[in-house]
Order: sequence, then C-alpha cells, then structure tokens
Amino acid sequence: MPGTITPDAVAPGLAGRSAFRSLLLTLPIGLWGALMFSRSLDLPGMAPKLAALLTLHFMIVLFFQMMRTQETHRWRRIFFVTLGVLFPVGFIWDLITLRGSMSIAVGQMIGGETPFCFLAIPMMIVPAALTKTLIFPGSILPTASNPHAVAPMIALWLAATLVLGKGWCAYGCFFGGIEEGCAALAKKPCVRNVDPRWRWAPWAVLAAVVLLSAATYEAVYCSWLCPFKAVTEFPEVRSAQTALQAGIFGSLFVGLVLVLPFLTKLRTQCAFFCPFGPFQALSNKLSVFEVRMDRAKCTDCVTCRRACPTLVLDETSVARGRAGMSCMKCGACVDACTKGAVRWHIKGTALMASPETARLLYLFPAWAFATLFGGSIIAETLTKLLQLAH
Amino acid sequence: MAAPDAHRSGAASDAHWSEAARGPTLRGVMGPLAEPALLGFSSGLMCLTACGPVLLPWLAAEDAGLRGTGALLGQFLAGRLAGYLVFATLVWALGLALPLPASANAAIFGAVHLALAAALASYALSTLRSRPVACAGGLSTARSRALAGRFRALGPAALGFLTGLNLCPPFLVAGVRAAQRHSLPGALEFFLLFFAGTLVWFLPFLGVSAVRRFTGLRVVARFTTVLVAAYYGYLGVITLGGALLHAWHNHA
Repeated sequence: MPGTITPDAVAPGLAGRSAFRSLLLTLPIGLWGALMFSRSLDLPGMAPKLAALLTLHFMIVLFFQMMRTQETHRWRRIFFVTLGVLFPVGFIWDLITLRGSMSIAVGQMIGGETPFCFLAIPMMIVPAALTKTLIFPGSILPTASNPHAVAPMIALWLAATLVLGKGWCAYGCFFGGIEEGCAALAKKPCVRNVDPRWRWAPWAVLAAVVLLSAATYEAVYCSWLCPFKAVTEFPEVRSAQTALQAGIFGSLFVGLVLVLPFLTKLRTQCAFFCPFGPFQALSNKLSVFEVRMDRAKCTDCVTCRRACPTLVLDETSVARGRAGMSCMKCGACVDACTKGAVRWHIKGTALMASPETARLLYLFPAWAFATLFGGSIIAETLTKLLQLAH
Repeated sequence: MAAPDAHRSGAASDAHWSEAARGPTLRGVMGPLAEPALLGFSSGLMCLTACGPVLLPWLAAEDAGLRGTGALLGQFLAGRLAGYLVFATLVWALGLALPLPASANAAIFGAVHLALAAALASYALSTLRSRPVACAGGLSTARSRALAGRFRALGPAALGFLTGLNLCPPFLVAGVRAAQRHSLPGALEFFLLFFAGTLVWFLPFLGVSAVRRFTGLRVVARFTTVLVAAYYGYLGVITLGGALLHAWHNHA
C-alpha cells in the first residue's frame, strides 16, 4: 500500500512500499540499534534508559519511513539536523561540566585535553608521514580527562570511509546538520546565481591548510579557520591573537553556517569552505556506491542540479551521467528527479540494474553507522537534557 | 665594511688547517665541502615544507608542462640561491654580531613575510583573467594580463628570494658556521654548498606538471595562493607590529 504517497510526489517506480515489507527491511536496523543501545540499560537512573529508547525509536522510525516512501534525503535530513543541533549542546555541556568554560587554556591544550575532531585528519597526515609528529594537541588513546582521543576517532572514520566514501558528510559529520537545518528553513533561495568556480574553494582551503600545517607544525585550520569552534571549544582569549581567532571563528560560523545556507539553500560551509570535504571526496574512489544519471530518461530539466546542496551536479556531470567526485550521497537529487533518471548505483554493475537494490545496499551500512555514531551522540545529549529536566 | 677576520679562527678551523698541514686526506679535502652539503641535505625536508605553501600553488597555477615547470623551478631556485648568498654576505660581514637582537630579527623577517604576501597576492590577482572569482568588479582583462606579464618576468625569482630568507634552525646553524669562515668567498661557498644539499628535495615539485590535466587545478591553485598570501600577510603584520611595539616601548 502506498499510503499517503501520491504518484506526482515521487519518481515513477518509487510509489512506496507496503508497510509489511518496510517493517521487514527495518528489522535488521532495529536489531542493530537494540544491540547498540542495550548497554544504556545497565546505566544507573532512568535518564540514560529513556534517552536510549527515544533514540532507538527515532532511528527506527526514520529508517522505516525511508523504506516505506523510498525517499532518502527527507528522512536522513531529520536525523542529520537533529545530530547537528544536539552535538554542540552535549559538547558544550561536557565542557562546562568538566572545565566550567567553553574555552581551553594553553596548559590544558599541552596536557592533551583537546577532544579530537575528524576535521584535523588531513592536516595531520603530512607532518606524521614526514617527521612522525602528531601535530594535534590531543591524546592518542582515551584518558579520564579526554575520552574523545585520536585513535578511536580515526578508526571509526576509516571504517565508515571505506564503505560510504564521502557519504560520511551526509551520515557521520556532526557539524553539517546545523547548516542543513538553516538551508531547510528558507522556502526559496534568495541568492541563486553562485559562481560555480566557488566549488573549488574547499580544495584550495585543503591545499592551504595541509601545506601550512606541514610548514608550521600547527593544525592551521583548527587554530584559525574552523567555524565550529564557535559552538564547541576555542582557545582562551588572553591576547590579541586569541581574540582575533575567536572573531574569525564567530564570523565564519555566522556567515557560512547560519546566514548563507538560509540565503542560498545550500550547505555553504560544506560546499565552499570545509577542507575535509575534498579530502573525503578522494575516498569516493574507494566506495562502491555512487549516483548516476540515465541519459535516456533525463530531460535536462535541471531539477537535480537545483536540489544538490553542494553544487556538485553541473552541466558537465549531468551530461556525463555521473555525479562529481565530491558527491556526498545525500540522495537529494535522486529524490528530486521526477523522471527516475537519477539513481543509486553500484560500481561494476549495469546502469540499468535495480537502483532500489543499490540504494538499500548503501542505506543499510550508512544507517547502521549513523545509529552507532550519530545515534550515540543523540542519546548522550538526550540523557543530559533529561537529567537537567529531572 | 671591514671584515672581522681577527675573531674567525675557531677550533674547527684550527683542526682543519692542522689536518691540511699533515698532507691531503680524504677527510681533509671532503670535510669542509661535505659539512655544508650534508647540513643542507639533512635540513632539506624543512626547506621543502617551508617553500611548499608558496611554490606548490604557484607552480600549479602556471599550468606548465614538465619543461616549463622545470624552467620556473629553476628561476625560483635561482632567486632562493640569491637569498642565501645575500644572507651569507650579511652574516659574514656582521660576523660574531649574530644573532641580531630579537626585535631586529623580528622586524627583518616580518618585512620579508609582508613582501612575500604582497608578491603572492599580486600574482593571484594578476592571474584572474576574464572574470575575478570573488567579485564582479575586478581587474580588467588587459590590466590583469599586463600585471601577469610583469609578474612572470620577475615573480619566480622574487618568490624564491623571499622564501630563501627563512629563519629555520638549520639555516641559522649554517649562518653561524658561515660567519666563522675566514673570508667572504668561504662564507659564500658554505651557503652555496648548503643550497646544493637542499636541491634534491625540490625535485618532487616537478611532479606538479603531471597533475595539470585535473579540471579546476588552476582555480584551486589561485585560491590557495590567496589563502597563503593572507597567512603570510598576517604573520608579517604580527611579527613586524610586535617588533615595532617592542622598539617603541624600549624607546619610551
């Protein structure tokens, strides 16, 4: 039964799936989620248990809707925005509880108390390879004062990257949700004509931060350019330099994460600034999942190009029938195409092979990872909020 | 300026001359040559990372083939050698007056960073041909071409010269050793060999010509140049500003 889905709302052939089949397809994710959150049942107090149940329910319902409606982007976005909003809340909560402030003193930084963030990975590679120096001031293994250490995050990122490629940016990144939420708030974009050459800007930011980090032995992006320092952790303002850094963080956050996404309906920070995006895009060469266009069905209506939140789709890529290397597989273009020309695809299979099978094979690991990683962040923050309410 | 030869007879030099008096040995002949070359070779990695932010985006933006990249790299290295030799002359002339006071060091290298930032920024602007990326009202095509032409004539050597004056620890060690030489040619020879030792590390930059087929490489390279210019500009302002403030504070 297609339920509330009308034939006009979805692409041909995507008329929805029966509730029973959708439930069957959701079952593995439900079991995986139950396994992931079962450890919360051993924790003392009601808050962790309730938070785990709410999160599990949330993840299962969203996945069920993905199965039922055969749409991806809409439901993924709900998860992603929730993660993006709740992550800073939980993070700031931890910082205030542990240190009494969002700022970190130089002594604490030297002591390796900086929680590790995946955005630093590209900057660490060259100094680590050339001189065996880890330029991030965090600890390698988790400690009591810093549970978010380097090694576990890199292991998690690597595992997700090998399977999802740049899908990390749509299912794993705990920063992108804020701008995706801001972009979703506007009904129509106020700014439409963005010079496509800006798409190359993140590659330039990546090149600059990698080269300068190698030259200065400092995580340049984290020290100077990260917009998300404004909602996580920043160096204590004690000098003109740290005041300037704080000013840059705040301005970039307001501009790239709040205002510009609302004006353009794009993920502007991801599309035009984030150096991790292009670095992660290289992993799309490893991932077997991709988005392709069936040129026989395509009418060049540019709906898919308008739907892409990071301007990855352009005239050339559509003509070539393949999304660019920077595609983060969010599914917006696939869902937007009313002709069914844009489809999920597994490399090495025929283009006409079932796109829904390819989508399912991609969604299972993606959602399992989202439940494990993002889900646990959501549950932890919910626990804190419930404890606060109690 | 008179050369302060009187205080140049260090223990190392004595050992060298006494060894020479016993007759030519391999160590005696090669030692003075090998020291600067090995120092250069061992610190070449640092030179590579120090020059990388300037050299790599600029070579990529030039979009040249292997031969063209080689020629540009040659000009850059010639400029860098000139920087080394100027530094060698200065340290020899100043002799044991090195190291300079911290504020003077900061002022000189702040100014060098500012000049480097200006050179990079002017290059990035000059290569924006048809339409600037950042804004609608930018340089006209003719003017940008003229700027680009002027830059191409002097730019590589200027960038090499400015990046050559980099105060990394091995470079300072080389400066101190050169200052201990008996004569100006000796100091120049030391830096020439030091430079030769670092050269091998620059060969990988020729590989830039291999990636020129990638779409958007030039745009990326120009954006990167702007960011690197901003970084060096900031560094220059902070270093020079700090030195001037320090000097003003001392004067007051």
